[in-house]
Amino acid sequence: MSNFFDTLSVLILFSSFILMANKMTKSYIKTFRIQSMLLALAVGSMAIKSIIEEGRFDVLVVCLLIIILKVIYIPNLLNKAYAKAEYKVEKDFILNIPILVLVCCGLVVFCYFCLSTIDGINDGVINVQVVNSISVILIGLFFMISRKKAIGQIIGFLVIENGIFITAMFSTQGMPFIVDMGIFIDMLTAVMILGIMVFKINEEFDSIDIDKLNNLKG
Amino acid sequence: MGIFLVSVPVIAVLMFILFKNSRIQHIISLVASSLSIIIAVYLTRNVMLFHSVSYSAWGGIFYIDYLSIIVLDIVLLISLIVSIYSIGYMETEIKHGKIDRSRLSLYYILMYSFIFTMVLALTVKNMGIMWIAIEGTTLSSAFLVGFYNDKCSLEAAWKYVIICSVGIAIAMLGIIFLHLSSIGVLESQQFLDWTALYDNAKSLKSPIVKLAFIFILIGFGTKTGLAPMHTWLPDAHSQAPSPISALLSGVLLNSAMYGIIRAVAIVNRNLGSSIYTGRLLIALGILSIFTAAICILAQKDYKRLLAYSSIEHMGIIAVGIGIFTPLSIFGALLHMINHSLTKSMLFLTSGNILQKYDTKQISKIKGALKLLPVSGIVFLLGLFAIAGMPPFSVFASEFNIIVSIFVAKRFFVGSAFILLLAIIFAGIAVNLFKIFYGNNQEEDLQRGETNIPGTVAIVVLLVVITITGLFIPNELKDLITQAQNIIIGM
Repeated sequence: MSNFFDTLSVLILFSSFILMANKMTKSYIKTFRIQSMLLALAVGSMAIKSIIEEGRFDVLVVCLLIIILKVIYIPNLLNKAYAKAEYKVEKDFILNIPILVLVCCGLVVFCYFCLSTIDGINDGVINVQVVNSISVILIGLFFMISRKKAIGQIIGFLVIENGIFITAMFSTQGMPFIVDMGIFIDMLTAVMILGIMVFKINEEFDSIDIDKLNNLKG
Repeated sequence: MGIFLVSVPVIAVLMFILFKNSRIQHIISLVASSLSIIIAVYLTRNVMLFHSVSYSAWGGIFYIDYLSIIVLDIVLLISLIVSIYSIGYMETEIKHGKIDRSRLSLYYILMYSFIFTMVLALTVKNMGIMWIAIEGTTLSSAFLVGFYNDKCSLEAAWKYVIICSVGIAIAMLGIIFLHLSSIGVLESQQFLDWTALYDNAKSLKSPIVKLAFIFILIGFGTKTGLAPMHTWLPDAHSQAPSPISALLSGVLLNSAMYGIIRAVAIVNRNLGSSIYTGRLLIALGILSIFTAAICILAQKDYKRLLAYSSIEHMGIIAVGIGIFTPLSIFGALLHMINHSLTKSMLFLTSGNILQKYDTKQISKIKGALKLLPVSGIVFLLGLFAIAGMPPFSVFASEFNIIVSIFVAKRFFVGSAFILLLAIIFAGIAVNLFKIFYGNNQEEDLQRGETNIPGTVAIVVLLVVITITGLFIPNELKDLITQAQNIIIGM
């Protein structure tokens, strides 16, 4: 079982590398959907394990919520926002893609070294799952600063959320149920608010380029 | 009865959705905030009698002790004053054509959801739910920051949501690590329970607790406005409607600071000393005061100047918590109260000035003392108060913290602290005092106040901060001492 989760965590990490290498906003959304599917797979297997071993069904509910929200609803919402706020400039990133991917590799190595010095997380052997999932968070943060468009920032935020979720899953076998639910509600509201703001920014500024938000200084 | 405290804002929101008449909405808002104050007085009395209040409903998540009651009282007191002030302010905004009358109900709905999330954050003992509520404060106030829907306010709102949500997500990671450190120590129904974590703090795994603290400090520190994560704060405070700026600065920052204080209490108890948390908090605190000092010196917009002053005062509180002696914690908690009252008074007064002159530029305002006889004087005295002049209360708490720094033999920190405070005093004096004198070139501005009830509320605040600067009532002293004992762990 632990091999299976190791593989999944590597796949989720790999999907965030793919996200970093994407050029088009449309493919960001697709990659995010794939990552959420992998996340749902991980949580789903965890759910089956907990039903068999302890008879708890709450992890299964969390898994279903991930499928409904992160795999279906939020990507559709973002696709809609993208379709309405159309723009032409395609070059969206600050550095070129090979450099961005190299920096991501650096982040994973950094994570590995940092976590290897902390005892308690790893009992003798380095816990690869936690290293991978924290790397996903860092890559999400880096994705946010490497993209100029508003939707890129929203996707970065969602990837950070995904990363935090799998960190919780892999390191602590899940947070208390009520906390998980609360996180979902918060995340959903956040994405909806950001979606509405993308529309408003598009109306006011005639584009969703974040570089144009530079009126407030000092 | 205490549980009703959480439900009052919820009921108020439902009423705002049902009743669209603006006169009725003003009345609902006043009634809701006065009711909350009454419940708060009752809760304060109970906490003083029984040390803590907890209810068995909802799996026993409601828990109020000395520390939370102090912050909770500030929240509710300032909400009452803001709700009194909002009536006049929003009516004037509608009259000037800044907003439609139909948006008034949106304003109240968002404001009371904002208050609800803050009250929730302060009344639960589960760190996870506290996190959810603090993230909720960002979401419910996002559209309040962007309420005017113009370029600047949208930009401020976007920065606010993105920076704070990411910051808070990092705090979640910290809470996950805190949870991880407690596995094997706590029972499954006690997970993330603050009291259980605190009682068993000695048996948590120290390396993970240390890691957790860094993430929590960065996460909640973003929301508190500690430099270098402060960049959303001046934008949001300057673009929001003035009553909301008062809530953001006076209340929201404290709620986030409360999260940090809760974490500090656990970590220090676990590590057995305050060196680790102290170094981090003092470094961030001094950096915040430094950033604020530089930006205040070169500021051209008075609402931004007040926002930078909030960063400064959060830095002062962080330094106070970082020193971690009984005296410094006492000073920090007292400073929390004093800063909230003084800063919300200043933001509300700046709302009066903004409505009179219709500009945020300092250079375009002249003769404020003549045009706004009451607000002008209050603003002038309030600026002296926030800069730390006696006899106002901010002086008392700052003095406490400075003394505690030197008693703890941190001479370098103390000297830097005093030097930066002096620079800030000079910055405020140089920049802002010129708005009070001179004659206004534009003749069409009329003399006199527009928002009479709001101005009365502001004057009441001024009286309160002057009196508490001269002497602190014994009850308040008791409350703060008990809260300080909770943090230090006696």
